Amino acid sequence: MLEVSNLSVRYGRHLALENAALNVAKGEIVVVLGSNGAGKSTLIKGMAGLVRTEPGAKITLEGTSLHKMPAHRIVDAGLALVPEGRHLFSTLTVNENLMLGAFLPRTRARAEESMERVFAVFPKLKQRLTQIAGTMSGGEQQMVAIGRAMMTCPRLLLLDEPSLGLSPLLTSELFRALPSIATTGTSVLLVEQNSHQSLAIADRGYLIEKGTITGEGTAQELLASEEVQKAYLGM
Amino acid sequence: MFLYALLSGLTLGGVYALVALGLTIQYGVSRTLNLGYGEFLIGAAFAVFVMFGTFGISPYLLAIVVLPGAFALSWLVYRVMLMPIVRRARSPMALEIDSLLLTFGLLFAIMGIMLLMFGSNYTNYSYLSVPVRVMDATVALNRLISFGVAVVVGIIAYILLMHTRTGMALRAVSVDPVGARLVGIDVNWAAGLAFGLGGAIAAMGGILISTYMTFTAEMGVIFTMKALIVVIMAGVGHVVGALVAGLVLGLIEAFVAAYLDPGLTVAVIYAVFLLTLIIRPQGIFGRVAR
Repeated sequence: MLEVSNLSVRYGRHLALENAALNVAKGEIVVVLGSNGAGKSTLIKGMAGLVRTEPGAKITLEGTSLHKMPAHRIVDAGLALVPEGRHLFSTLTVNENLMLGAFLPRTRARAEESMERVFAVFPKLKQRLTQIAGTMSGGEQQMVAIGRAMMTCPRLLLLDEPSLGLSPLLTSELFRALPSIATTGTSVLLVEQNSHQSLAIADRGYLIEKGTITGEGTAQELLASEEVQKAYLGM
Repeated sequence: MFLYALLSGLTLGGVYALVALGLTIQYGVSRTLNLGYGEFLIGAAFAVFVMFGTFGISPYLLAIVVLPGAFALSWLVYRVMLMPIVRRARSPMALEIDSLLLTFGLLFAIMGIMLLMFGSNYTNYSYLSVPVRVMDATVALNRLISFGVAVVVGIIAYILLMHTRTGMALRAVSVDPVGARLVGIDVNWAAGLAFGLGGAIAAMGGILISTYMTFTAEMGVIFTMKALIVVIMAGVGHVVGALVAGLVLGLIEAFVAAYLDPGLTVAVIYAVFLLTLIIRPQGIFGRVAR
């Protein structure tokens, strides 16, 4: 359903991402593994329209081309991003954050139903609706950020290092939630440094290094491969 | 004397609160500071002066034409002048500087046009300047109405911002523009709307002030500065803060003028402003950016 090819991003003279290509099928969880500065965030921001991409790229979501679309229209097309740093509306309540996720006319009518879906994945949020989002712990804020993205009724959910800054316990709690999102038909693409836990829940994975995608395989293949074990799993 | 100072402080503060509200909406949502803001206030004052003189229609009724005009002009300023520099801005800092230079130019352009049309004379007209007794003091009716209108407009703006979907979207953009884009809000639409609303609120302030104050084509910048002081003191984008701080500023001015010396008002205002910046750089109601 998502097909990306020839995606390049340049920051000034520095080529941060070169001819990246990947695809995600419906209901699939795909992880992009890479170390700091490998171009993971750039890849995901390029897809979401948050950074300027080089001409010639192809990004299609169920046949609709997203390339060069402004970020807010990409959301309407069905691609939602949970960004690094979360970018929550920190002075607004949890409820307002979630309701803003249903800002678009396409998602407004389904807001209640979406809210139930969010509570099914993160029951904790139900008791926190009136809390100011900025006063929550990092893990809870990440839940709100994912919940907000779910409110946009995405076909594909992008997650930029959701485990960053979270304790191992919270990370596993968060990762356990992702398959339940995928079973509702929403595909998930996440970029991570945390290879163990992300590969445990993913169907497939890609490896990214110095701005280029260097390998791909099923989660089992990657877990077993020597290259991955050495570079990412510390074995 | 106390009651007189209180009344004149409230009427003045009401308008300051209103004018600061408009600027904080513009600045908070669009992240571009409009130095030509006060020109819209003076422009509206001249507009009602001319129309009241020509047609004899009540200045308050003239708001029906002046406010949409100010909204449209401000919206155009954002779409035509500011959007190109927003598009090409490399960083928030660069945008801040570019927009300051651009709106500084706008200030002189609008002021120049007004000077050409009206000259640099002090202008005033008389409307409803009948004395009203409030307990032991007398106030002009136009000042009382002005305070009442400021309160009503403030309440309406608060309700719209806090309880409508569009208002929530505007607040979202002012808190986190990137987050706003990620939920599908067109940030340029929001900023244009905020500019229009801010311009209309400034014009309302201009209409109110024109009924009891003498004004000149060169006075816009004074209101921009006062509004800016209030906005920064309250914390950028903080609606209730701007209303409260504006009211307090008016009261301080009135009490200083009544009990100390009218010439000291500006000095005291700046002293309070400086003190606020030293103690709470993020503004009295502002939160520290993380």
